[in-house]
Amino acid sequence: VSEPPASETELLFALVRARYGSRLGPEELEAVRLGVAAVVESARALRALRLENADAPLPPLPVGVPPRP
Amino acid sequence: VTPSPVFLPLRELAELVRTRRVSPVALAEAFLERLETFGPRYNAVVTVTRERALAEARRAEAEIAAGGWRGRLHGIPYGAKDLFATAGGIPTTWGAAPLRGQTFDFDATVIRRLGAAGAVLAGKLAMVELAGGAGYRQPRASFTGPGRSPWGEDAWSGGSSSGSASAVAAGLVPFALGSETWGSIVSPAANCGVTGLRPTFGRVSRHGAMTLSWSLDKVGPLGLAADDCGLVLEAIAGPDPLDPSAADRAFRYEAEDPPGRRFRFGVLRAAAEVADADVRLRFEEALEVLRGIGTVQDVALPALPYEAIARTILFAEAASALEGLVEGGMLAELTAPEDRYALYARDAILAKDYIKALRLRGVVAREIDGILAGLDALVAPGRFTVASRLDEPFRSAFGGTALDPAGAIGNAAGLPAVAVPNGFGERRLPTSLQFVGRAFGENTILAAARAYQARTDWHRRHPEVG
Repeated sequence: VSEPPASETELLFALVRARYGSRLGPEELEAVRLGVAAVVESARALRALRLENADAPLPPLPVGVPPRP
Repeated sequence: VTPSPVFLPLRELAELVRTRRVSPVALAEAFLERLETFGPRYNAVVTVTRERALAEARRAEAEIAAGGWRGRLHGIPYGAKDLFATAGGIPTTWGAAPLRGQTFDFDATVIRRLGAAGAVLAGKLAMVELAGGAGYRQPRASFTGPGRSPWGEDAWSGGSSSGSASAVAAGLVPFALGSETWGSIVSPAANCGVTGLRPTFGRVSRHGAMTLSWSLDKVGPLGLAADDCGLVLEAIAGPDPLDPSAADRAFRYEAEDPPGRRFRFGVLRAAAEVADADVRLRFEEALEVLRGIGTVQDVALPALPYEAIARTILFAEAASALEGLVEGGMLAELTAPEDRYALYARDAILAKDYIKALRLRGVVAREIDGILAGLDALVAPGRFTVASRLDEPFRSAFGGTALDPAGAIGNAAGLPAVAVPNGFGERRLPTSLQFVGRAFGENTILAAARAYQARTDWHRRHPEVG
């Protein structure tokens, strides 16, 4: 399943714009759109690689109960 | 004659204190005055902690006079990046204007540990706002002004541990604490011509430090030389019940090497090839020095999207860690215009892609560990250019396509690195060499860096201050 990058960018940008668009002017919105395009570009580089089922995530933290902040 | 304490190696400074030729109170006064006088010149300081420093120095002086010398950091002043919590009403601003008044009622674990070693907190040091997590693209991204390298009027001190590096470089403190998620110790160390140690992920507790990325943040020292960093690391490393990510491993700094120790170095050509010509030249000269203390061989890296892996993890975790600031509307108060909106784009990272990045990180860690199993260190330029000009946007595309394979690999895999000055490039600004080691291999890379520094004098050159 793979849509063109431009289309994925626009779909995800629409989500971001719906959430935060009221806070942003036209130039800022365009910069955010470029940011979303960079996110999509990185994601596509990751998706291009095939992993084995056994390739587990290297997790953020060890298992355990975190203390209160 | 009392020797000047400025630019002395920690070991020598400690000996002066131990033998009571220099008083901790006099030492604190000397460095407090330098922080107050020269700190503003480099936009290096947020808060000079004069009252606390003098109280700690008096206590150290009394203990040493009574025969209770605690070790090499006893009575030695230091500065801490302003993302480490400090009690007593001292602000902890994270470099961000909307958090100027933020205070905590406890000390971060690293601050507490340095206190237990008898060190004297002299100042909270400037940093890029939110440790660079909001997406800054140029040096003017801190409410204390752009960090300046003491090596050039128009040279950025690097980020995000900007003040930690410039304060050490200018002799405002003997050592400093910084933190790195991706580049925030190694890069400012390079720009300011000092030595910076990024420990292994989990080597040092982050309790009380600002979180940018749970799985990438590391805390480490900056000093004039590798030996200084080793001494500080020994004081701050170790398990901490308050930080579940802190590994259950003690660290003892091994400062003595067998005579004639030889090292095996692997050259990360991919990192050198993206560097500017002046940086490459200094790097090649450094390799010649390394050939005198060991073997030097090129290593080929597996073709993996290292930067995309590290960037996806960092951006996704930062979007969550800073969610409160985003939703609370505080971004609008940040200093860098781009920091007021760049974080919004990270809502576009999909969970599956974040998990894929975490899985690929496992592959990277495995592959690089396999390469490092036959080596003592990978070597690469510390940074691919000399310091940017203060008004110059960074040379990378929006959203970050940083040319930093060594940083991406080292940080994604949680590997230690030590960056040392290795000469001067364009505009007579410092260049840097980094040694990247195996996980929990700090003693090996520190030994290699010490051997390099024993054969060079770049770390003993200092900018004109005052």
